[in-house]
Amino acid sequence: MNVDARPKIIGAAVQRREDPRLLTGQGRFVDDINLPRMLHIAFCRSDHAHARVLEVDVAAAAAMPGVVAIFTGADVLGTFNPIRATSRMADYYATELPVLAHDKVRYVGEAVAAVVAESRYLAEDAAECIAVSYEPLGHAVDVQANAEPGGPLLHEDAGTNVIVSRSFQRGDADGAMADAAVRVGATFRMHRKTPAAMENRGYVADYDPGRRALTLHSTTQVPGIVRDALEEMLEIPGNRLHVMAPDMGGGFGGKASLYPEEALVCLLSRRLGRPVKWLSDRLEDLLTTTQAFDEIVEAELACDEGGHILGLRADCLGDVGAYSVYPWTAAMEPVQVVSFLPGPYRVSNYRARARAVATSKAPTGAYRGVGRPISAFVMERLMDMAAAKLGLDPLEMRRRNMVRADEFPYKSASGIVWDKCGFMECLESVTADYDALRRQQAAARAEGRWVGLGLASYAELTGLGSRIAVAPGMPVNTGTETATIRIDSTGAVTAHFGIASHGQGLETTLAQVIAEELGVRVEDVEVIHGSTQGLAHGTGTFASRSSVLAGGAAIITARAVREQVLKAAAHMFEADAGDLDAAGGEIFVTGTDRSMSFRQLAKALYSEMGRFPKALREQIELQATRMYDPYFGTTSPASHLAMVEVDPETYGVTILHYGVADDCGRVINPLIVDGQVHGGVAQGIGAALMEEVVHDGAGQILTASLMDYVLPTAVEIPSMSVHHVEEFLPDNVGGFRGMGEGGTIGAPAALANAVSDAVGEDINVLPMTPERLYCLLNRDEE
Amino acid sequence: MIAVVVNGVSYERAVEPRMLLADFLRYELGLTGTHVGCEQGVCGACTVIMNGDSVRACLCFAVQADGAEIETVEGLGTVDDLNPLQQAFQEHHALQCGFCTPGMLMTGVDLLRKYPLATDREIREGLSGNLCRCTGYEHIVRAIRSVVGRSVVGRSVAGHER
Amino acid sequence: MKPPAFEYLAPRTLEQAVAALGAEDAKILAGGQSLVPMLNFRLLAPSLLVDITRIPGLDNVDDWDGGLRIGALTRHHALETSPLVRDRFPVLHAAMAEVAHLAIRNRGTIGGSLCHGDPAAELPGMAVLLDAQLQTTQRTIPAAEFYDGTLSTVLGADEILTDIMLPALPPGTGWGFEEFARRSGDFALAAVGVLIGGEVRIVAIGANEKPIRLLNAEALFNDASDIDAVAEAAGKEVSPEGDLHGSAEYRRHLVKVLTRRALRAAWERTS
Repeated sequence: MNVDARPKIIGAAVQRREDPRLLTGQGRFVDDINLPRMLHIAFCRSDHAHARVLEVDVAAAAAMPGVVAIFTGADVLGTFNPIRATSRMADYYATELPVLAHDKVRYVGEAVAAVVAESRYLAEDAAECIAVSYEPLGHAVDVQANAEPGGPLLHEDAGTNVIVSRSFQRGDADGAMADAAVRVGATFRMHRKTPAAMENRGYVADYDPGRRALTLHSTTQVPGIVRDALEEMLEIPGNRLHVMAPDMGGGFGGKASLYPEEALVCLLSRRLGRPVKWLSDRLEDLLTTTQAFDEIVEAELACDEGGHILGLRADCLGDVGAYSVYPWTAAMEPVQVVSFLPGPYRVSNYRARARAVATSKAPTGAYRGVGRPISAFVMERLMDMAAAKLGLDPLEMRRRNMVRADEFPYKSASGIVWDKCGFMECLESVTADYDALRRQQAAARAEGRWVGLGLASYAELTGLGSRIAVAPGMPVNTGTETATIRIDSTGAVTAHFGIASHGQGLETTLAQVIAEELGVRVEDVEVIHGSTQGLAHGTGTFASRSSVLAGGAAIITARAVREQVLKAAAHMFEADAGDLDAAGGEIFVTGTDRSMSFRQLAKALYSEMGRFPKALREQIELQATRMYDPYFGTTSPASHLAMVEVDPETYGVTILHYGVADDCGRVINPLIVDGQVHGGVAQGIGAALMEEVVHDGAGQILTASLMDYVLPTAVEIPSMSVHHVEEFLPDNVGGFRGMGEGGTIGAPAALANAVSDAVGEDINVLPMTPERLYCLLNRDEE
Repeated sequence: MIAVVVNGVSYERAVEPRMLLADFLRYELGLTGTHVGCEQGVCGACTVIMNGDSVRACLCFAVQADGAEIETVEGLGTVDDLNPLQQAFQEHHALQCGFCTPGMLMTGVDLLRKYPLATDREIREGLSGNLCRCTGYEHIVRAIRSVVGRSVVGRSVAGHER
Repeated sequence: MKPPAFEYLAPRTLEQAVAALGAEDAKILAGGQSLVPMLNFRLLAPSLLVDITRIPGLDNVDDWDGGLRIGALTRHHALETSPLVRDRFPVLHAAMAEVAHLAIRNRGTIGGSLCHGDPAAELPGMAVLLDAQLQTTQRTIPAAEFYDGTLSTVLGADEILTDIMLPALPPGTGWGFEEFARRSGDFALAAVGVLIGGEVRIVAIGANEKPIRLLNAEALFNDASDIDAVAEAAGKEVSPEGDLHGSAEYRRHLVKVLTRRALRAAWERTS
């Protein structure tokens, strides 16, 4: 057996190791954790969007059956250190994370009091009986009104509702605009979404008074970040503070921030000396889980007669809700919108401003794509608008402006550096059938059908290293990932990571990477993640980082362990380590039939006395810990092509074709990569056509059920064609690019362009519901 | 006191009338494979089969199930012996986070028993009461498609049916 | 979202059920597919739920003088798959396919849907379109007189709907059913059912506080050449309320469009 004959594991469609337990009901989710003496929390939540809390009367509730205790904001004040999402960024006001509201409430659903009872049913009975008197403080719902001075302030200390303001400039955008042959522009609006993971948030805190130790079982994508924050808040050192994310029912960013309820269950478990569980129900999820994609962007693009971009200007107003989320801050989304607006195009003159405006709505946080779905929507609409004005085909417009292979690394107008990747390759690949689709469209239109085609291209930075903060100025380092891999005395391989897989299949993909590098079988590797035990530092899974960072850490750590394995085996074979190889769980002397299993080696090394001389034994350790830091990160581009049909009478939109071509670098597992793209696009389709969190003028949320917050079903999501361009990545240990979010970034833009092409009107507001299409196309009639 | 047969095992329990069937299965019987996603009757994660029909366990009180035979995901197959639909889900990567999966499987079983599922459109419409936020549905449709018409489908698709 | 506490009874006879309903704040529980979500949201707090599904004999679909007598406890799925329904009332068969999702249809009862009376639900509209006679423990009520407002019927507190009688349609009756919803299985933004037989009947769903016959529009119909005019009139005859899924204006527009489509289909199906 030689190196070339080794089975290729990276790149194989390996079936997921997570699946058997999840398919048989043997997964272990937070709500499946039920501890002896466990208590349950139900919250009394504000029904006012902006009000002073005058009095909280808990007397009647406290007398209800099964009630153990009731806590208000005043009751917990002073029992923990408050925490804020700080940033080095100028013009930023960091709000305090409210564990329970005291003094005032800032959105409908904010927790005012917590009932702790013997069951959730009884806790809810009592929560209903809590009487809160409020003094309304004036509506602060509208983002544009809140951006102006003079209105009610959500955070008086800030002196303004504009809690973030940031500008970008390159070249002379105003000058370029003034001289341009063609200028197009509009005000674009994306309406607020919620991640809506199928599993609601939930937390079980278990304080052990004897050890003064706390275990938190949490639906969190970021156990490491939560652990470090709780250490600050509760002053429990990290060696007695264990945060673990068990199986998780999706996250999509909605479980990537520290939540008030998460800190509160810990406080109350410590205070009561009993395990405490809070599980969000769907109503609470739609009221309180961080929301996203709520921006108004005024943007303008200038081109010469040939369609070459001369300049771009944008002003982004982000409606970030009531608080600046921990640790990402309220800057993350609106700043990201303007950072990524220039897309994969050559833009030499750019001026942009982003402001984050507090409103009396649930805080916004991370949601798949973070800002970039809005960037792509705005830029790709502008590209189509300019193409239309010039009489150019949208595909040709993109070809003329896209950064080409010989221009990498390319520093974008906002300062992002695109490394070598397949911008054009993706565009050409997804449009392989473009002419045929255009002919189909022409034929359909000849029959009076409203059929349209829409393209979208974008680029994102994934797998961010320590050089680039996920949110501007954020003090939390998410740019490194540590792996510990060890071979135990049975020969089994255990790998610890700081990531927290919650649907991405990382137990499988990381096992694939380790198996290939170490020379074992995939099933020999147990991947431990989602836990703060076993590693000194970790953050979690978000921002399309896990394959790049944990994959990279897996490779360098596995190589270090392999070196030790071969060193030990060399002694046993009485051969040179350079003549040895390992694959499939066997170590062998190349070119011979001499081999031994990892199990035999481990037993010999650990358990069989006298097999190794003392000096050699002390040098060999079948485990390693290594950190990987990609420093900048990797570029992940893609192009999407959608064909839609709009019913000219009902205005219902049907997707006839959906194609994606992306460059995710080296594919670890094609099944999983396809699944990520499908799921991402499905969320992008929801964002484009259906999903919208709606508030009334008083800040009451109207979409408090899954009947009203409209998620796509299997009928609305089409079959998709997905193609992966695997461009080689030079400065990255695994050659992997992040690809968890891209589907959601491209789909709203492609669909906006397709619907616009179908109906012959600019689509500048999403979601494009039948109601909005009806209004758009009938505004002059009736 | 109610009596139910769940996955072939008889149980008798005293329950409060308001206890939802989903909570009964999860907390009284410890069968946590049935997941609760909304309690609004929309997401379908809690779907179980009661007396041969798929139902939402969040829209049914345990007392209403008195005398019923219930099948949950735990009754379909085991980690070492997946039933054909579970196998198809694994082969086609029809699950990611796995939270909607028990409901998808139980709906899938009911669809395979009741409908010919001649087209993907039929499968998609049949699944439209079960929300999945991860997969974009494509692989779920393929997984179900792959077992339509196989000898394992029909009344015996559950494999472990009693 | 846990329901509030209540007492529970599962009587075996209608008489026992009627007696139980004498209690203050008692409510009937049948399939529970509309009631239980409202309880989970704590929008209701009944003292007693009277589960009528253990009463035998109320879930049959039988011949009724060429039409059908449908027991109130018949599940939606049974109606959806009934050959008698498909043969005698194809319009109802078509509408049933649009009702929610399989698990809801498996559990929800016909009587429950009719008594819940959601104005955007298919069955109340079908009852009006098909001129159903609704048999209760006290009387027979024509479907057109059954609703007195949104989610409100003329039933007394201890009155139970037992049977739905659908009179036979004239041979060769043409039918059309058109619905538009945001998602598969959602409540209709608007739906229209049409019959062209001895007379023309047009019913709009989701366009008023309850399903209604569009009598003005019906009166304009003589043959296919009137379809556009009838559709225009239908749009004007309804008075929908707007909500976050669709404005009143858009729903009115939908009624017009769906009426035209349903009329065309019905006209083509007449023989």
